[in-house]
Amino acid sequence: MLGQVVISGILSGALYAMVALGLALIFGVMRIINVAHGPLLMLGAYTTYFLYSALGVNPYLTVPVSMLVLFVVGVLLERTLVFRVVDAPELSSLLLTFGISIALVNLAQLLFTSDLRAVEYLTGSWVVGPFALSKSRLVAFVFAGALTGLAFLFLGWTKLGKAIRATSQSREVAMVCGINVQRIHLITFGLAAALAAAGGALIAVIVAIQPEMGQIWTFKSFLVIVLGGAGNYPGALLGGVLLGLIEQVASLFLTTQLSEVVAYVLLVVILLVRPTGLLGGRQT
Amino acid sequence: MTTPVLEIERLRKRFGGVIAVDDVSLRLEAGRIYGLIGPNGSGKTTLFNCITGVERRDGGRVRVSGERVDGLRPWEIAQKGVGRTFQVIRVFPELSALENLLVVTRGHLGGARTRALELLRFVKLEGLRDEYAGNLSYGQQKLLEFVRVLMRDPTLILLDEPAAGVNRTLLNDLLDAVRQLRDRGKTILLVEHDMKVVMGLCETVFVLDHGEKIAEGAPGIIQTDERVIEAYFGR
Amino acid sequence: MTRRRAALAALAAVVAVLAAYPAFASGYGVRAALQVFMWIVLASSWNLISGLTGYVSFGHVAFFGAGAYAGAILVAKAGWPWLPAALAGGVAAVLLALVIGYPCLRLRGPYFAIAMLGLNEVLRALVSYFEGLTGGGNGLSLPTLDATIPIYYVMGASAAMVTLVTHAIITSRFGLRLMTIREDEVAAEAMGIDTGRHKLYAFLLSAAGPGIAGALTARDQGYIEPISVFPLATTITMIVMVLFGGKGTVWGPVLGAVVLFVAQEVVWTRYPYVHPLLFGAIIVAVVLLMPRGVLGILQIRYRLPRTI
Repeated sequence: MLGQVVISGILSGALYAMVALGLALIFGVMRIINVAHGPLLMLGAYTTYFLYSALGVNPYLTVPVSMLVLFVVGVLLERTLVFRVVDAPELSSLLLTFGISIALVNLAQLLFTSDLRAVEYLTGSWVVGPFALSKSRLVAFVFAGALTGLAFLFLGWTKLGKAIRATSQSREVAMVCGINVQRIHLITFGLAAALAAAGGALIAVIVAIQPEMGQIWTFKSFLVIVLGGAGNYPGALLGGVLLGLIEQVASLFLTTQLSEVVAYVLLVVILLVRPTGLLGGRQT
Repeated sequence: MTTPVLEIERLRKRFGGVIAVDDVSLRLEAGRIYGLIGPNGSGKTTLFNCITGVERRDGGRVRVSGERVDGLRPWEIAQKGVGRTFQVIRVFPELSALENLLVVTRGHLGGARTRALELLRFVKLEGLRDEYAGNLSYGQQKLLEFVRVLMRDPTLILLDEPAAGVNRTLLNDLLDAVRQLRDRGKTILLVEHDMKVVMGLCETVFVLDHGEKIAEGAPGIIQTDERVIEAYFGR
Repeated sequence: MTRRRAALAALAAVVAVLAAYPAFASGYGVRAALQVFMWIVLASSWNLISGLTGYVSFGHVAFFGAGAYAGAILVAKAGWPWLPAALAGGVAAVLLALVIGYPCLRLRGPYFAIAMLGLNEVLRALVSYFEGLTGGGNGLSLPTLDATIPIYYVMGASAAMVTLVTHAIITSRFGLRLMTIREDEVAAEAMGIDTGRHKLYAFLLSAAGPGIAGALTARDQGYIEPISVFPLATTITMIVMVLFGGKGTVWGPVLGAVVLFVAQEVVWTRYPYVHPLLFGAIIVAVVLLMPRGVLGILQIRYRLPRTI
């Protein structure tokens, strides 16, 4: 029983971690809380859905496409709107991304209607020993793990990735070192949107797709960052897995609705006790 | 021996791998002017921040008039009679000059207003009392921040680079004000880079380098101290 | 007549008209005015915490919903008359604000905003969970009662109260201290201001109005369900109204409430599906182009007193 819970927790944890990494990047590099993160995930899910229903391809093949589409969307949003509030007081960036999030959700409602959609591709579970592993969740885990791994390789080993980390640590110093900070912001936002989109694409096979599906992801992504420490990218990994585990354990005793309450109480408690996150990070 | 106004015992503060304040101890007696100098990055402002509770220290004790204040919130420490100014001016830009002073007081408004106007008159800002503090010039904001500290009549006054960016005339007025405060029994500790100010004003000077206190004494002695010279100019 | 006397006279005239309004207005007219009052309560209350202290409360509608449910439960299940139930709604909201505010207000800016964002969802989940009491997803019906006109007066009185309270705060040192939190919290603390306590007081004050308004609305509609009293759209609308009118001012939220309510009625009747999109666009526009709002801009340009 416990083993099942732990495994389920880790499976969902990787997804949380990947999506939260995007939010962490935006926060770390641009000091902006992207309230529109969830809706970006939602758009990724819809992209996968439409490609799947139009072309009948393996939805997992659409993951890179969703990522690309949302990368472009992210870059456009940053280029037209978000860049204006990078240096503004926090209220402005919060409200701006809030406004964008509402607009995106409503746009989705208009274009796609609120009817529930589903990508029914991989159902059922594999039974491994005493454990039942949902197939779609397992595949999602593999993808999420791989993508997150790639993201960390990118951040750690490529020139661009290092530039992103440098800007995240100190924008002034990065500028002095010749880094084009505007471009970094653009790319970071796009990258974060792509990660969210990947999450959406993978989730599309697991849950019902509807315009409001992203909202809870924004919140949970934030919880992950708080758990792992703001500005602490590996922390997002730990935070994601931790959240996954805690949710699964909580669902043993409580209904799923209440597991959201658990997540929330957890957020408040962590912020009270250790505002810099479990692994330590930056306080705002 | 009277209780020192400020007593710091082996204060330590680190930021990640960097030790900003390394085992610093000092005592301040009442009615004197002290200086805190050291090359850039030696930990002076961090020390101020630890004393006033803006930063949480990692070790050591801070006592104000005998009472331990380490671990208290900044406003609690301020209420124990500690006032400070900041390296980068922090007036409240969308409050008027007068409001900047009134907002730090409690109690009878009439009395506070009188006192505030008096202080504004003292630094010749009375005419600008209804102007948004954000619209004042740099020097005016500096003076405003200075008298704002005085509104609560603190026993210990920490000034972070009071001379920075201030013209000579204003500076002399400021220094006179500081001397007057000392004569009234207040204790002042100032961080300053302008050596003339430090030498002319302070009775005792502490020198920090890389977070460590490397010297302490009268200005004349500090000037010739080998370690101090080395810290500023290298070997 | 001095300017002040003229302003007070104008105000008295407006109040007189509003007081007499139900006598000659249609049912729709009274309902519409009731809603405007409700928005004034919501917007002005949001202004108390977010406009003055700068701490953006993103889930403020949670207090509206909490008050609605508290009031509705007391009326439907405990047989309370609606007026005391409305006040109880306010109390319930304040208690919620205390529970949430005490831990959350210690958080700096963005963390607080996100904590509030989650509050809404959590309350909705809790309402669904405690089905026996709240009727869960099926909602809660109140015994039929046509009390629209008395409710109009009470809501109007609430709107007046909140505006008055805002005026009192902004002209006091308490209000100044709240503003220093917005201007420079570190400096405020260094000057001896207990920012935590001040934020909490502002937060509690900002919850009372929405709580009462929620309970009154529940009574007037006769029926509530989770989606109707915890809608995200209400939070957005509140925020847009204050931003547009001028956050941190006394009459800004009132102006925003009136203007945007009228605009909303016009748009909503014609283009019901685009309306959140439009509002999202308005938020974006206001944040980028006029973050200070109409009155905020006028205040700076013409050096108007803060009590505008």
